[in-house]
Amino acid sequence: MDLKVIEGIVEAVLFASGDSVSLEKLSVVTEIDKKTLKLIIDNMSISYNKASRGLMIRELDGSYQLCTKKEYGQYISMLYTSRKKQGLSQPALETLAIIAYKQPVTRAEIEKIRGVNPDGVLLKLLEKNLIMEAGRSDVPGKPKLYGTTEEFLRSFGFRSIKDLPMLEMNEIESVVAELPVD
Amino acid sequence: MKSVLADGCILKLQNFEGPFDLLFYLIEKNKMEIYDIQINEITDQYMDYLFAMQELDLEIASEFLLVASTLLHIKSRLLLPKENEKQEEEMDPREQLILRLVEYRKFKEFAGSLKNREEEWVGVFYKLPEPVQLDEPEEVLLDLCPIKLKESYINVLSEFKEKMNDPSQKMNKIIEHEKVSLKAKMKDILNMLKIKAKVYFSEVFNLKANSRLEIATGFLGMLELVKLKKAYIEQENAFDEILIKTAGDFTLEFEEQNDYKEEVV
Repeated sequence: MDLKVIEGIVEAVLFASGDSVSLEKLSVVTEIDKKTLKLIIDNMSISYNKASRGLMIRELDGSYQLCTKKEYGQYISMLYTSRKKQGLSQPALETLAIIAYKQPVTRAEIEKIRGVNPDGVLLKLLEKNLIMEAGRSDVPGKPKLYGTTEEFLRSFGFRSIKDLPMLEMNEIESVVAELPVD
Repeated sequence: MKSVLADGCILKLQNFEGPFDLLFYLIEKNKMEIYDIQINEITDQYMDYLFAMQELDLEIASEFLLVASTLLHIKSRLLLPKENEKQEEEMDPREQLILRLVEYRKFKEFAGSLKNREEEWVGVFYKLPEPVQLDEPEEVLLDLCPIKLKESYINVLSEFKEKMNDPSQKMNKIIEHEKVSLKAKMKDILNMLKIKAKVYFSEVFNLKANSRLEIATGFLGMLELVKLKKAYIEQENAFDEILIKTAGDFTLEFEEQNDYKEEVV
């Protein structure tokens, strides 16, 4: 099949779907193996980068989704009567940060880090579909585990969880070792 | 105990999400290094806040008290002279506190970068999925023609003429209270059953010949007859016609039961 046709298929499918479409599904549709298809989509993304295009292809945890570019957001907003999206509160952001790095994580672990009961915030994050229940921990009581969703990646501009910036944990241990003796 | 801070921190108090949040605020305010906290000073200031909260009658969450006790514990340990070196074996509570603070700070910082990213990506728009249902064939409307449409329109019109809002028929009589008795309706049914052993409910009562009230009362009368074992009813499916069958008994003894006589619906 002509490369142009494959690109056309991918674009058409992504447009019609609206939602993210997994590489597997795109591979079935185009009858192209995943590795090659990924290269093709990466190549498409580069051509989308041109300023003349208002759309871009986002990668989300091995799936692809068509969306508008950040820099054109202000023009789209002009179409609608301004209803500014309420951002997340500080406690919600902190809780989300903990879940993103420690997932799957229990409610108790979150509480230990923040020193505050996280129940209300967890409900809000679940409601916004930013986190989900990810099974149950093996410890006594089998507490629920929480993890982030694709919506989290989408809302905060990550491609996957591996995309999160590294937090320096080693730094802590070395510092503690150097604690001054009283 | 009157706190010096009480006045200064009224507005700030509610803003602390938790004990660590407050600790951080104090550490930053005093320009201290997180790894080199002056426990004495921080503990005093922390306690001042709790006292201020108390003065303001704010409920102090238990988590604030927990950290307060940890701070006081550390402070007291620092004040006491060291007895022997054995103490080194147990974990330094200060170390634990610092570990927790450092970990909390790490997430607090990341939360800040999440906030920026949230703002950055809020202007990206997505499209709802197309409501495509390719595998479901559309319902084929067979046997339809304009004549049939006209016929059914006329049918509907004639059936519901009474219901329609026709002003020409309005106010040509004063509405009277319709007197329908249950007893009379039960008799109607029994009379029909005398002629025919089986009769459909719609043969006895229908919208063409009877008012709604009559039909409803007739329905109750039918149920009454069943209860008195003077008739049987059958209905195969929901909303099917109800078939009333005779039980061979056409008498109605109302004389003893006044409640039927009086009952005018």
